[in-house]
Amino acid sequence: MERRVALKGMAAAMGAMAVLPAWASGWSKETLTKRALLPAEQSKILAGMVESIIPKTDTPGAGELGVGDFVQKMVKDCYDKKTQDNLAKGVDSLESQSMKIFGKSFADAGKDQKIQLLQEMEKSSDPDQKAFFGLVKNLTIQGYMSSEYVMTNLTHYEMIPARYHGCVPIKQ
Amino acid sequence: MANFNIDSKKARTYDAIVIGSGISGGWSAKELTERGLKTLVLERGRDVQHITDYPTTNMMPWEFEHRERMPLAITEANPIVSRCYNFKESSAHFFVKDNEHPYVQEKPFDWIRGYQVGGKSLLWARQTQRWSKYDFEGPARDKFAVEWPIGYDDIAPWYSHVEKFAGITGNKDGLDTLPDGEFMTPHDLNCVEKYFKEQVSKQYKDRHMIIGRAAHITDPQQIHLDQGRAKCQNRTMCERGCPFGGYFSSNASTIPWAMKTGNMTLRPHSVVHSVIYDEKKQKVTGVRVIDANTKEMMEFYANIIFVNAAALNTNLILMNSISSRFPNGLGNDSGVLGKYVAFHNYRASISGEYEGFLDSTTDGRRPNSGYIPRFRNVYKQETDFLRGYAAGFGADRRTSTDRSGMGESLKSNLLKTNYGNWSVGSHMMGETIPKESNYVALDKDLKDAYGIPQLKISVGYDDNDEKMVKDYIEQVTEMFTNAGFKNIRANDGNRAPGNDIHEMGGVRMGKDPKTSMLNKWNQLHAAKNVFVTDGACMTSTSTQNPSLSYMAFSARAVDHAVKEMKAKNL
Repeated sequence: MERRVALKGMAAAMGAMAVLPAWASGWSKETLTKRALLPAEQSKILAGMVESIIPKTDTPGAGELGVGDFVQKMVKDCYDKKTQDNLAKGVDSLESQSMKIFGKSFADAGKDQKIQLLQEMEKSSDPDQKAFFGLVKNLTIQGYMSSEYVMTNLTHYEMIPARYHGCVPIKQ
Repeated sequence: MANFNIDSKKARTYDAIVIGSGISGGWSAKELTERGLKTLVLERGRDVQHITDYPTTNMMPWEFEHRERMPLAITEANPIVSRCYNFKESSAHFFVKDNEHPYVQEKPFDWIRGYQVGGKSLLWARQTQRWSKYDFEGPARDKFAVEWPIGYDDIAPWYSHVEKFAGITGNKDGLDTLPDGEFMTPHDLNCVEKYFKEQVSKQYKDRHMIIGRAAHITDPQQIHLDQGRAKCQNRTMCERGCPFGGYFSSNASTIPWAMKTGNMTLRPHSVVHSVIYDEKKQKVTGVRVIDANTKEMMEFYANIIFVNAAALNTNLILMNSISSRFPNGLGNDSGVLGKYVAFHNYRASISGEYEGFLDSTTDGRRPNSGYIPRFRNVYKQETDFLRGYAAGFGADRRTSTDRSGMGESLKSNLLKTNYGNWSVGSHMMGETIPKESNYVALDKDLKDAYGIPQLKISVGYDDNDEKMVKDYIEQVTEMFTNAGFKNIRANDGNRAPGNDIHEMGGVRMGKDPKTSMLNKWNQLHAAKNVFVTDGACMTSTSTQNPSLSYMAFSARAVDHAVKEMKAKNL
């Protein structure tokens, strides 16, 4: 009985979810614009950067999982103007470093070349560059770990645990 | 035309009107309709139907485009509601925007509101601890506010009544300071919480740590299945609305139950302007409502009015109900309306770590936590401040990942869980002393979008609160230290009153009409067919999360009202 009632409820709720009513998104509609933060060229460089931070192996990397767009969306909607400007500035300086050192765009640089450029940025004495790298890395990790692919296939997120056990041995 | 008016008036006449559909209004509606009264329930916000109007309830974490974080433009435009712990992408639609219903802060006060059918019952923390006799006896013993007109024995059967229906999980702990109720299977305490419980009992004869009593169904009874509710599935995303009805809300429980009787008319988008006092009949006859969509003012009539608009809005409505008989607000012969407002002091918290049970962790999720009932000044006055505090307590196995570097090593490290120490934490829930100087009033000039005066809130901490924060930090630090916890850190969060969402009083109960608004049945002394059973009625606050008491007051008051009506006294 209990299970039947629950499943009935779930089914109804699933149906309701397909389209959010206007009042449910009323908070963001009036305040958020749909435009992207970075132009296409810079977006491509950012996508290359997140893929370098978490690359494709036998499972998809951050680039393939769309984490570059997630980073942009977060910075655009949840961070101040200064941070937004620094994101664009950071992408530009990554590109100019790549041109200077390797004579090609970051997007075209080799895997190790990209890592080298990013490591230099991580260690940079310029606080803006350091902040840029830290921000993108943190958001990349957040976007990757909370992506559908990772939560479904790798970390096995449970929407409905239906239990709490207070003391269980750790499985190593 | 005359006939039309009579018919129209008849169509707008009910046996009872309930203002508000939150925790207390839902209960008033259920109890009134079950007793056969044709009842109009007025709700200022939109309708929220159980399940179908929980748009985020089954969304996966990755479906929230900002992963539950609120965009900067929203938090900057809404600093008040953004400070609420429960305000996030999945629940924002159940909160009131700062500019939607403005108010005047004479002192910083975070007024957190939910304007929809169900009110804040969709958003509450679901903790349901009973008051004990020591709580009701507080004001009389310690000589503050006024004496409660009722004691524990008056309310105990009504606690049982509402607990059985709402569904409460808890353990029968046998404490006189926190009476047992009608409990279903308790949630587990985890290893470190059990350890702390033993340590506390060993070291203090009058202190205890127990699993919280909470409005979650852990062992469904027929009465819950009859409501269409099922066992709590431990999702711990209650603030989205629960498709299982696993926790108690008006939406899952009392409102559909009242609807099923066929006696309830639910009218959303109905902003109550005032309660009507008929000077000729010398009694309250109904309610003035502004339709939120059309802005049209209309009147509804009934023999009995329950004001359950949530504590401060109930104050506002009564203050805005002016007549020649009541020039200072309905029932306000005493002049205490709006005064003696109090809240719970949630300012301080303490965290630490425990290095034991390192081979163990928890499994699943728990919509509940540990609870330390008040131990200060319970049996006698023993400190330099009045009353005391309860405290939350919880432990969790801390995990971390190695986030250094980048590339393939980072990627594989992110998927490895490293277990650290257990983290432990506690937060205080302090009783505050109602004072005349902590008040709400109508602003003389400012009006809201409906032309109703804005509420001016002047509520702050006092010296008693400061001393209590200090004592909580000292005592719980000592309890943590004695239990062998390390890295103990106390935090005085500087939280404004209101952020606890436990504002109470302003329409207090009392024995004497000269010093109180309501009698022992929650009736206005001076207008006996008006009942107030939400947080506004509270004479003092004690330390327990108050909703369970509002439910019990509502059910008890309806029972009395209907008996009085049948005896032709109302």
